[in-house]
Amino acid sequence: MAEVVLRRLLATVPVLLLVTAGVFALLHLTPGDPVDAMMAESADASTKESLRRELGLDRPIAVQYAAWMGRLLRGDLGRSIRNGEPVLENVSRRIRPSLQLALLAMAIALTIAFPVAIASAVRHNTGVDRLGTTFALFGICMPNFLLALLLIFVFGVTLRWLPISGYLDPLEEGWSGLRSLILPAVTLGLALAAVITRTLRSSLLEVLAEDYVRTARAKGLSEWVVIRGHVLKNALIPVVTVLGLQLGTLIGGAVITEYVFALPGVGRLVVDAVFARDYPLVQGVILLIALGFIVSNLLVDLLYGYIDPRIRLR
Amino acid sequence: MVTRRDFVKSCAVASGAAVVGLRPGAAAAADGPKKGGTLRVGFYIEAATMDPHLSGSKVDRQVYHNIYEPLVTLDTRLGIKPGLAESWSQPDPKTLVFKLRRGVKFHDGTDFNAEAAKFNFDRMKTEPKSIRKGEVANIDTVEVVDAATLKVNLKKADASLLATLTDRAGMMISPKVVQERGVELGRNARGAGTGPFEFVEWVKDDHLLIKRNESYWNKQGGPYLERVRYRPIPDDTVKLQSLQGGEIDVIDYVQPRDVAAVKTDKNVTVVDVPSLADFAYQLNHGRPPFNVKPLRQAVAYAIDLDQIVKGVWLNVGYPANGPIPPTSWAYDKAIPPIKRDLAKVKARLAEGGKPGGFEFTMTTNNIPLSVQEAEVIQAQLREAGITMKIRLVDASTLISDGNAKNFEMISFQWSGRPDPDGNVYQFFKTTPGTSFNWSGISHPQLDALLDRSREVSAQAERKKIFSEVTKILQDELPMIFIVHPIEPKAFSQRVQGYEAIPDGMMRFKDVWLK
Repeated sequence: MAEVVLRRLLATVPVLLLVTAGVFALLHLTPGDPVDAMMAESADASTKESLRRELGLDRPIAVQYAAWMGRLLRGDLGRSIRNGEPVLENVSRRIRPSLQLALLAMAIALTIAFPVAIASAVRHNTGVDRLGTTFALFGICMPNFLLALLLIFVFGVTLRWLPISGYLDPLEEGWSGLRSLILPAVTLGLALAAVITRTLRSSLLEVLAEDYVRTARAKGLSEWVVIRGHVLKNALIPVVTVLGLQLGTLIGGAVITEYVFALPGVGRLVVDAVFARDYPLVQGVILLIALGFIVSNLLVDLLYGYIDPRIRLR
Repeated sequence: MVTRRDFVKSCAVASGAAVVGLRPGAAAAADGPKKGGTLRVGFYIEAATMDPHLSGSKVDRQVYHNIYEPLVTLDTRLGIKPGLAESWSQPDPKTLVFKLRRGVKFHDGTDFNAEAAKFNFDRMKTEPKSIRKGEVANIDTVEVVDAATLKVNLKKADASLLATLTDRAGMMISPKVVQERGVELGRNARGAGTGPFEFVEWVKDDHLLIKRNESYWNKQGGPYLERVRYRPIPDDTVKLQSLQGGEIDVIDYVQPRDVAAVKTDKNVTVVDVPSLADFAYQLNHGRPPFNVKPLRQAVAYAIDLDQIVKGVWLNVGYPANGPIPPTSWAYDKAIPPIKRDLAKVKARLAEGGKPGGFEFTMTTNNIPLSVQEAEVIQAQLREAGITMKIRLVDASTLISDGNAKNFEMISFQWSGRPDPDGNVYQFFKTTPGTSFNWSGISHPQLDALLDRSREVSAQAERKKIFSEVTKILQDELPMIFIVHPIEPKAFSQRVQGYEAIPDGMMRFKDVWLK
């Protein structure tokens, strides 16, 4: 087991190298530069030149990349160009809301998706099923920002039950922190619930058609016991795959949701950093997001083994 | 001397009843200002740094104008009034002498005096990362005459310098804080200013908090508010909803598309603050097609500014006759904006050797308002036989392309400066190398006028010069001027006593909560 994990982690090294080198090259190939962006309201060429020199932006890209890599190996992600803050500090502050949001959204998604998918699969081709699939389609089609604005309008502006925007840390502020995350988590969670519902429903249908299910039923087991004991676990593999992929996306890619709800998360950080051409910050966040993906994929692989022991042997 | 009532009246005249809660007949107007409460302000973006000398972002200034104070400051008609300097004189065109206010202390308890002021100017000029260098480049040396007298020696006469000192370049930071805190000042401005409010804390990405300065030197009026809490809310719709939902009390800007709807909301007061900005397009004089003057004029005559201001800006702005906004004393009403005239377009096209029209590319910002404007211009030009392609880029690319003169026609949105010089000189003066003169215009008569505008100090004479400049610009067309936007701000009904100054900065000294 430990050996597997270690091997997998070692295999991520080239992936990370590729990601960082690719992002570095792309960023520098994009027109625009951080000093121009930062000093948009000043055209003083000599100040800009000296700032560029100080930031090392006048050196060839390869040298800049090597310097960045060198610092990285010493555990230093550098400092943001825009505000001089250490990248690591900035990113670690931003990762908290993102993680909390992702986990809460996932919890909401699972709470909705499992009953709906099971009901749909068991009552296949009935009204219940059609209701379930309609919900799933709605969740997938509904644009994030629209859902967010609707939720804000109903629960924030009209009913005033929940805060409209902003973030409080649930770990420090408790209930009011949780309240600040509910609307964004529902926004993300509904879409995710839809995806999981669809995946789980079709996977359940497949398993329900297996011979051993017929056998179980023939033994006289109640439908619920059949589902819980024989069907669900075997139908989980595709769901776990989807969850693993989505967790990474939720952490790094909830840009629109973070933007609308003014949540200080990682997604907004990286987009703002790209617009400001804040190279070290973009590099740092991308590295972190890549790591997030790798870790969640690793977890998924380990989960496979737990769910289906046959996979462990491979 | 202006009494407070006169002052309020003049505000209302200058910017159309721009004093929140002081309109005649407003309920509870009889109650005077009262102390206390937290004002919650929503901004589109977070501040970048608390160090005015290293600041390059507009939103920073919104905070600065409450915790720091400049030597001189602006009145509602963009005139210069005393700030930390009680008075000033100009013994000769190259010397400025400031009499500083006595008894002013920084929030850290140290004295503000001529020594401290000199320290600030020296830092702006020499600190490697100073973004103020360009603004104070014309200051040669600064001398301490006595504790309350500061002498500023200029390299050459510069009538616009005082106006420059009304903002970041004139703001005074406690030398003790600068020396002790170093780069940390960027994140923590505790004790650093002299203003009506003191910095308390800045929780990055969440809020920035300032509190009342109990020992503020100016005993007239406020500060009344206990605290001011700034919060970044990037989405305009959500920011507005937060105001309507009662989560915040002030927002810095209402999008033109929302203005009409918000004005019908009884819980919200909208104040139209005419800005100093000019939104225009620079035409590249250095390459075809706009190296040919008649073709530049053909485009200018093909554009219908009224239609753009009405249809795209929904009248939240004024059609521009040049770079100087109607709020400025230098604005010349007698010069109308260029009018659409298709007959003239035809004549100019023929004159420019393209009787059948021509094709070019416009580079502009990929934001909804800019895209809409570009599409309207595209349609207007098409009617005149000119084909315009639109290239959408993000802000960083736009600036780099402009600096590298890599464009044919490019959007240029300037936030504006209180003195007309700040909207004119650096854009149209012949400058080799990188500058905001992206068009590359080099016009001897214009250059002479621009230099002259800095040398003379009488406002009436400067106004005449700027009128001349505007006429030349309408003929030579380094830029096609489109609009001077209004920057509407919105307040909840609790907020009283806000006075709008056209630089768009929200000074909360005299603001109070009902």
